[in-house]
Amino acid sequence: MLTETAAAQKLREAQGFTLIGKRIQRLDGLEKVLGLPLYTSDIVPKEALRVKVVRSTVPHALVRHIDTQPARQMQGVLAVLTAEDIPGINESYALLPDRPLLASKKVRCQGEAMAIVAARDLETTEEAAEMIRVEYERLPAVTSPVEAMKTDSVLVHDNGNVAKYLRVRKGDVQEGFRQADVIIENTYGTQFQDPTPMEPEVGMAWVEKDGSVTCVGSMQTPYYVQTGVAKVLGLSPDKVRVIQATTGGAFGPKSDEMPVDTCAISALVAQRTGKPAILAYGREESMIAHTKRHPFVITLKTGAKSDGRLTASEALVVSDTGAYASLGPLVIIRACFHATGPYVIPNVKTDAYCMYTNNTMAGSFRGFGSPQVHFAAESQIDELAKKLDMDPLDLRLKNILRPGTLTATSQLVDEACGLEECTKRATEASGWRAKRLEFGLDRGPFRRGIGLALMYHGNSLGPEGNDYAYVHMLIKPDGRVVVRTALTEYGTGAISGLAQVAAETLGVPIQLLELGAADTASCVETGPTVASRVMVIGGRATQIAAQKLKKKLLTVASDFLQCEPSKLTIKGELVGHIDDPKRTVPFRKVVEECYRRHISLTETGYYIAPKCEFESENSQGTTYQQYTYGAVVTEVQVDTELGIVKPLKITAAYDAGRAINPLSLEGQIEGGTIQGLGYGLMEQLIHSHGMVLNPTLGDYYIPTSLDIPELQTIIVEYPGAVGPYGAKAMGEPPVDLPAAALANAVAHATGSRVFDLPLTAEKTLFAMKRQQR
Amino acid sequence: MNGKDQALIVDSTERLLDVLRDRLNLKGVKEGCGTGDCGACTVIMDGRLVSSCLVLAVQARDKRITTIEGVGTRENLHPVQKALMKYNAAQCGFCTPAMILAGKNLLDHNPTPSKEQIKEAISGILCRCTGYYKIVDAIHDAAKEISEARC
Amino acid sequence: MTTIADLEAQEDDSAWGRLLADAVGKFGSPNIRTVATIGGNVCAASSSEDLIPVFLVLDAKVKLIRRTEAREIPLQEFLVAKRKTALHADEILAEVSFSEPSARTACSFQKLGMRNTLIIALVSVAVFLETDDARSTILQARIALNRLKGKIPQRAERVEMELIGRRFDEGTIKSAVDRLGDELALTSYFRVSAEYSEEAVKVLLRRALSDCRQRILGK
Repeated sequence: MLTETAAAQKLREAQGFTLIGKRIQRLDGLEKVLGLPLYTSDIVPKEALRVKVVRSTVPHALVRHIDTQPARQMQGVLAVLTAEDIPGINESYALLPDRPLLASKKVRCQGEAMAIVAARDLETTEEAAEMIRVEYERLPAVTSPVEAMKTDSVLVHDNGNVAKYLRVRKGDVQEGFRQADVIIENTYGTQFQDPTPMEPEVGMAWVEKDGSVTCVGSMQTPYYVQTGVAKVLGLSPDKVRVIQATTGGAFGPKSDEMPVDTCAISALVAQRTGKPAILAYGREESMIAHTKRHPFVITLKTGAKSDGRLTASEALVVSDTGAYASLGPLVIIRACFHATGPYVIPNVKTDAYCMYTNNTMAGSFRGFGSPQVHFAAESQIDELAKKLDMDPLDLRLKNILRPGTLTATSQLVDEACGLEECTKRATEASGWRAKRLEFGLDRGPFRRGIGLALMYHGNSLGPEGNDYAYVHMLIKPDGRVVVRTALTEYGTGAISGLAQVAAETLGVPIQLLELGAADTASCVETGPTVASRVMVIGGRATQIAAQKLKKKLLTVASDFLQCEPSKLTIKGELVGHIDDPKRTVPFRKVVEECYRRHISLTETGYYIAPKCEFESENSQGTTYQQYTYGAVVTEVQVDTELGIVKPLKITAAYDAGRAINPLSLEGQIEGGTIQGLGYGLMEQLIHSHGMVLNPTLGDYYIPTSLDIPELQTIIVEYPGAVGPYGAKAMGEPPVDLPAAALANAVAHATGSRVFDLPLTAEKTLFAMKRQQR
Repeated sequence: MNGKDQALIVDSTERLLDVLRDRLNLKGVKEGCGTGDCGACTVIMDGRLVSSCLVLAVQARDKRITTIEGVGTRENLHPVQKALMKYNAAQCGFCTPAMILAGKNLLDHNPTPSKEQIKEAISGILCRCTGYYKIVDAIHDAAKEISEARC
Repeated sequence: MTTIADLEAQEDDSAWGRLLADAVGKFGSPNIRTVATIGGNVCAASSSEDLIPVFLVLDAKVKLIRRTEAREIPLQEFLVAKRKTALHADEILAEVSFSEPSARTACSFQKLGMRNTLIIALVSVAVFLETDDARSTILQARIALNRLKGKIPQRAERVEMELIGRRFDEGTIKSAVDRLGDELALTSYFRVSAEYSEEAVKVLLRRALSDCRQRILGK
């Protein structure tokens, strides 16, 4: 559906919005359908050198020798660099200082960068790279996070394998279990999921005449790249300019180590040779080297009264962050806080560990711990429902978070909680009750099932750091409004969303809006583009910038219209009196007058969210400023002879706070749902003894257009306290539940449960066979 | 090449993808994997979709090739382009040229495709952002627009 | 060079036409079908090549030509080992041929992968069945699996023996599937276990045989 319904239009206008809630075309849509946007590989200067990285081929070893001589001697090779050639500091890490840019004495996983080769053409570079020989002294490797917890485990880093530990303590779980009539305990497992952006990582750099360095690349956070590159080159950050090129998908990992690596390595070559240099990852290289979704092993023990009231939850949550922590210590925080699922449980004990292993790195990935814990928590609720002989919907309704209740971290849930409405609408729209019965009557090899999963998702950074944004806005003499920020676009449509907020706040048509580049030379540091925070935090900063500009415009307009600025409003391309529609002056004229009077029409909006105050020993308090809620119902058909799970329909209801642009929001929900579907059914980056077995798109399966089920999206609005117009984070939440809902649907269809993702045909079939015995 | 004859001397090992991007400067053709698994490099060759990373440049001799640059212009968008824009079906944009070519090629051969047929036509092109829904709806819409224009 | 897309474009209602349509419909993706060729698929000689089980059950021969001579050998002989064929360094594969099956023939191809398209077969089965005019007795049966005992597609000759001369009914289908269970010697690899592959391929064989029965009775 393209146009909004009459009812939605009425509601929007009743709230006094012109653009908010409207289904608007993205500002970059025209360029994209013409194939015009310039991604990094599209703007390579002719004289640029092609760079290749020599990477480790073993999971854990001491490095005895790197023989680069054969490469250095090859004709056409212009640079061969190793760790000793780094002028600054040999480091590239997202959070904990545990990772070098170039490994030299030890490698801790497959795919670590060890040497850099540059030549004029890719063929020569690749040939030269193949001639570099590394002599390893292999070490035993630890490849399971549970193994890594043992006292006699192989150590990945000298100070132990625990990258982060934290816990939640609420009430008294022992007492809670004593009060329980029923207790169940299960262990759940999830896999490495590869982000698989369609554009692999790429970074390019050149040295300017004044010795400063400019980097262009595929990335989410230009300032992380600036800091990282400056450190490696031994320059002060103001000597490194970073520009985000059009970025072909990101999903989190392009905010971790890789963009720093690609740009820093290119910059090292550029500095050494005086020529521009580009490092573009091949797909296989990308899949081995970049960060992925953390595998988790989660043991849940849950107690309930016979009427279904939950009394206690005890959880051991263990993540595998691979050889380097990346953002693992933050992922485990979110996982720890959300491990119970969105339920009122008076007694909670959660222990969460982020463990090092010799697998490849795990880091940021859309959902950030939430998909994993919700798979476990929602599977567990269904198992409990089975034990209590209750409908899983009823068990959930008995326990869900509602306004006035407390979360696992004892945060009071406010009025902006649409979980109940999401649950009711998703189950009504999908025909839950009837299908629970009807599907149960299926006979023959094909059995249908319907499953439900609920979630809550703490918005933005929460406890992870200062949550702020800067957005710049400029009105040009011709009246066009430019929005510029170091927050980035990489497919989400979020920056177009900021333009929509700017246009609404100013009162001008969206057609006047333009977007600038995310360039450290023209945008101040604004925090990372992660955690679905562009609209929530960036949107507030945008409103502030727009309000400042509006104030200036109305002050000048008040001279034209001979009245108080407070009586004026901007609507369309006119500034007018609120009581007298005939008293207007063209917006453009006011802008021109501002210029004539040398009144600057450039403003910067800054917003910082209130700090989350909580006690860190037991994680009790306000862990996030607002929450997104959701409910997903999935219907499947299981081929019980082969175990194949065919998704038939997904009904997804989300409390988005305020849908700024429902058309773009649907796009995020649809894309996230399918990414979650892949996570649930077919995606697994398989490591064996630390080595990735399937680092290609022919062997790592993401959903194709023939794998998608019918999808119905329901948007519910309970405006949150922080986001503009009450908007909540919606970039990540759609990935949180599809796998959980699928697991519950399959359990309904087959009567048996698969406790590990993905739900492959093999696992589904053998779970059924085990049940039959 | 997009309606105009082109003569080039190519190396026997050059891929069509490289010739299009590097020699003819057609940057709308993207490389997503280099192994024929993702379809980002899709072009239309003699009325069929091909992944240009799997075609040697010499295999394209005497063939008619269409890339995104040959589909529509700012002033005169192809209905598939217009529809993708209306539906916000281009998110990161990397698969967009390939999807548009697949949609255009389908409609050139089958002006009234079902949604299943549309999904089949784009099944060789991976998208990680959209979940495919709006791309399919857009192509379906474009088909209606084309057939209405004909009446 | 005949591409898979060329095959797809031919719509043939005969038994072998429908067999090829089964295989081609699940082959790669539209993009890949445009460039992939019959010859390329056959010469790749591995369990990932969908046309090999198909041509095996059609009892195909391959024609190999040099500058001045040509020779024809059965496809089974042409396939030596994984990624190894009987092709000499100065030969090319020019033709794959098979005799036209009789009217009382039906074929089926079943393939299992990790998603609905763009898949490498985990297991696949091709079946060729010819009955008498009464459509009740099986005169000829050919069965090929992409993996049976080794790493290349093979005919399951003992299973075929279980079918030839028997009545074409559920009981016969069951004993053929049981026989297959005895013949299988699959190995596990990172994608699937041997145990699952063996379960799955028996199901595919049963479905392929039932499919053939439907097609024969339908004529």
